[in-house]
Amino acid sequence: MSTPATRPPDATPHPAAAAPGDDIKFTLPPPEPTGVSSLVVHPLARAARQFVKSLWRPSTIVYPYKTPFGKTTERLESPAFRKEVGIRSGAPLGVGEIWDNYRGVHALNVRTCISCNLCMFSCPDTCIEMVTTEGPDGKAKKCPEIDYGKCSFCGFCSDACPEGCLSMTARYTLTTNDRHHMVYSPEMLYTVYKTKLPMNPVRLARPENEDNILLDQDLCIGCNACARDCPTKCITMIEIPKPGAAKPGEKLPKRIWKEPSVNDEDCVRCGTCISVCPKDCLYWGSHG
Amino acid sequence: MSEMWINMGPQHPMTHGLWNLRVKVDGELVIDAVPEMGYLHRGIEKICEYRQYNEVVTLMDRCCYVAGLAWEQLYLMASEQALGVEVPERAEYIRVTCQELQRLASHLMWFAAFVMDIGLMAPFGYGMRDRDVILDLFQSFTGARMTYEYMRVGGVRNDFPVGFTDRARGVMDWLEHRVDDYEDLCDRSDIFLKRCVDVGVLKAKDCIRTGITGPMLRAAGVPRDLRRDRPYSVYPELDFQVAVHDAADVYGRYRVRMEEMRQSIRIVRQCLDHLDKRPGRVMAEKVPRFVGTPSPPPGSESYIVRRGYPKGVGLSAMEEPHGEAMAYVVNEGGEQPYRVKFRSPVMVNISAAREYLVGYRVSDIPAIMGSVDICVGESDR
Amino acid sequence: MSSATLFGFSSWLAAQMFGMLRPIAPAPMQPLLGAQAQSATAYLLVGTFVFATGLVNAIMLIWWERKLLGRFMDRRGAMHVGYAGLLQNFADGLKLFRKQPLMPREADPLGYWLAPTAYLATSLMIVGFLPVSTGWVPGVAPLSLLMALALFSFAPFFIFIGAWSSNNKYSLIGGMRTAAQLVAYEVPLLFAVVSVVLLTGSFDLTTIVNTQIKEGWFAFPLILGLVVFFVAMLAEVERIPFDLPEAEAELVEGWNTEYGGMLFAMTTLADYVRGLVGSYLVVLLFLGGWWMPAGQFTNVVNGFPLAGILWFQVKVYLVFAVFVWVRASLPRVRTDQLLQIGWKRMVPLSLANVLLAAVLVVTGWWPLPKMF
Repeated sequence: MSTPATRPPDATPHPAAAAPGDDIKFTLPPPEPTGVSSLVVHPLARAARQFVKSLWRPSTIVYPYKTPFGKTTERLESPAFRKEVGIRSGAPLGVGEIWDNYRGVHALNVRTCISCNLCMFSCPDTCIEMVTTEGPDGKAKKCPEIDYGKCSFCGFCSDACPEGCLSMTARYTLTTNDRHHMVYSPEMLYTVYKTKLPMNPVRLARPENEDNILLDQDLCIGCNACARDCPTKCITMIEIPKPGAAKPGEKLPKRIWKEPSVNDEDCVRCGTCISVCPKDCLYWGSHG
Repeated sequence: MSEMWINMGPQHPMTHGLWNLRVKVDGELVIDAVPEMGYLHRGIEKICEYRQYNEVVTLMDRCCYVAGLAWEQLYLMASEQALGVEVPERAEYIRVTCQELQRLASHLMWFAAFVMDIGLMAPFGYGMRDRDVILDLFQSFTGARMTYEYMRVGGVRNDFPVGFTDRARGVMDWLEHRVDDYEDLCDRSDIFLKRCVDVGVLKAKDCIRTGITGPMLRAAGVPRDLRRDRPYSVYPELDFQVAVHDAADVYGRYRVRMEEMRQSIRIVRQCLDHLDKRPGRVMAEKVPRFVGTPSPPPGSESYIVRRGYPKGVGLSAMEEPHGEAMAYVVNEGGEQPYRVKFRSPVMVNISAAREYLVGYRVSDIPAIMGSVDICVGESDR
Repeated sequence: MSSATLFGFSSWLAAQMFGMLRPIAPAPMQPLLGAQAQSATAYLLVGTFVFATGLVNAIMLIWWERKLLGRFMDRRGAMHVGYAGLLQNFADGLKLFRKQPLMPREADPLGYWLAPTAYLATSLMIVGFLPVSTGWVPGVAPLSLLMALALFSFAPFFIFIGAWSSNNKYSLIGGMRTAAQLVAYEVPLLFAVVSVVLLTGSFDLTTIVNTQIKEGWFAFPLILGLVVFFVAMLAEVERIPFDLPEAEAELVEGWNTEYGGMLFAMTTLADYVRGLVGSYLVVLLFLGGWWMPAGQFTNVVNGFPLAGILWFQVKVYLVFAVFVWVRASLPRVRTDQLLQIGWKRMVPLSLANVLLAAVLVVTGWWPLPKMF
């Protein structure tokens, strides 16, 4: 929790600053020049030392390049380190040109996509559009299409994806001559997926108080729109007893005598039901 | 040669960014200086009002491109205060680790640029090389080298990977040795001292009058460091010292930054020890919906109406690598912040350019402006 | 004016000025201008030789500097184009060659176009007076050393013309600095040369080298002179720590800020040609020229001059490596400090060196006793 700032910024030092021995004071003047040694000899000797050190293998990163003995990649990080470092989820990081958790081009598994729109909603740059594509069973389904001309590679979409079908890979080459080639259709993203590039194994740490879908029973008309559009099919319409004429002279509301029941285990909290509800009777909340 | 105005910038090697320094020179002597800012203005504060709390984090990395994680934390401290979110202790320690690593990276970058400004070729490579090691550390847990997007309201995105603390400790040991090395390299070079000592002097009184903060202020002998004077996050539990120098010139700023790097290494080590001992959550358990999880459905007005929304105001101040930064977030009960305002230390430090440039030579301008440590991304926003 | 024309013009100028001076020169100067280049064909051959030597070496020096500087900065230099990046600079040159030369509207066309051309041409002409091995000298002249240094000191004028006519404040300041710096460092440079001439008694570079082959390197008795000459040469070829005229941190690109494309390539090439000439002179005057370790016993140089050329080139590249070494380790000095070093340190040192050489000659201590 951040501490609220109570004191306005002022010029006088904070009382705590007066505590002796708390800060280091360099009152030392800079070192006296010592003649030829510090004028040229020492700097030249230092540079020569580095030169000799880096004769064999300079430690700065170089890009993959070809040698007479084949393609070589040198990086500052030793591959041993990357091998030994695993991720808490258990998936080890690969040893490639870059780390596995690099946020590069997306890979989309069209087969498991449930068209929940969460990636589109979570995108800060509005570069994701849900377009119609052909699903694995030949039926049309909505899958994300990503415009890399806008994408900032923040990874919010893959964090939001409830099924883990949209992930970011270590692929980083996107150069084209035509900006229209920067728009990756679901098919292209599926092609990236099929190349089996290392995919980001790190998942988002989520807060636990995720809200659930609640129903305002008085407003519901039992229209089935929510159950129809739910991507995970976790909403079932259950029959409710039709009340008899409660009071004489009062008409029963005109509705279908069903209401949605949400299976909270399967729900991915995409909010599609809320947005399609014609009567605004579904809302976010917690039971009790 | 008579007097003339020279535009140093907006495209100029001295500027380290996109701003314009108009200097009036008489031969080689600077007799007036007018900084002009605003060439890199991208309207980030306004864009923040159209983004949800977590999505603003992506802008913070673009805001300051050498200390992205510091600005993420700066913004999040304010917005967490506005939203009333408690951050778990482990997340705070991770954030402070990131902060200090970021300070190291920023100061190394500054070192590289500074020595390049006064014409030293080889140490430029050293500074960039060592910064790259820290960027590699960042990449191992954030997945990017400069645009991290790592912190979220209520904590951080993911925990450190297994084995990270050991590796980071190794890097710190190695870096500590390197910092000594650089001091030896520069302090024992006569020409370096001649270029730095008694150049760009700005005394404590003038620093305070012009609102200059950060290493520039500490180099003038004022022991002010927000990490100690107005502690935030878990800094009160950490043991470190504030580096102060009396020289008030370019040399003093260089020494203060070098010492700050040592102190940062010290802090990182303490944080790593703590992280090893105390596992736990890195994300708050309770975060308001639409803020904590990345699933903002449309048509959520009903939610706001039904549930009500926490309202509040958040103000955070932080010792950023460049100086004292502040963030102010107003939460009027919507998905997006109502208003976000930042105070950039670099903006203030550059604005006083006239105070420390006049009277020196044209050759001194790069050395002096290099010692200010400019990041135009955050000052123009 | 296309860049190709400019390029051709500079080579033409290098070849023509060289030979055309002869008919118009007064009689006492005739021997200065070389006895070999008598016909138009000979002029052309000499011009081609000078052009090829100067430019190819300059380009290779750029590669050499990039590679060395890379190692000093703990990285590799150019390494993708050609083996170990050998062709990188040729590729850069081609790219610059293809670019359209643009001139600022307010610039003075004559000075703007003339300056890089003349700068490169005069720099290349110096190469024509420098011997590289026994019998391998395009312009044999008794006063070749003086001629080379005279051509060397042409540069400030052309730099200043280019800077002034660019109509740019950075260029102007850079040009001013160049003038001040080159004038200040000409003096110790020439004094250092005087000491060598005192010991040799000749302005002919071939004689100077032959003396060294016989009596040992001048670097041993005149170590002070070598240091002064080297430092002054650093300033003359405008390299860190004395690269104030093009201090890129404050003056963008210095006096050639407004030059782009081929014109920029020409100024850069001329800079490196001057760096090459500087290294040549250091080797010729102080480090024994093409003297080989076993050369004086086996007479391999006289029998096989190419070996001498190779050995000479190796020395030149090593001397240039020291230039790069200094560049990697020292910061740039300030204007006032530069002039202070020049007038207050270098001039007295060079005078002391001349005194030393005079003493050596007068007392007969020179030649030094042979070690072997």
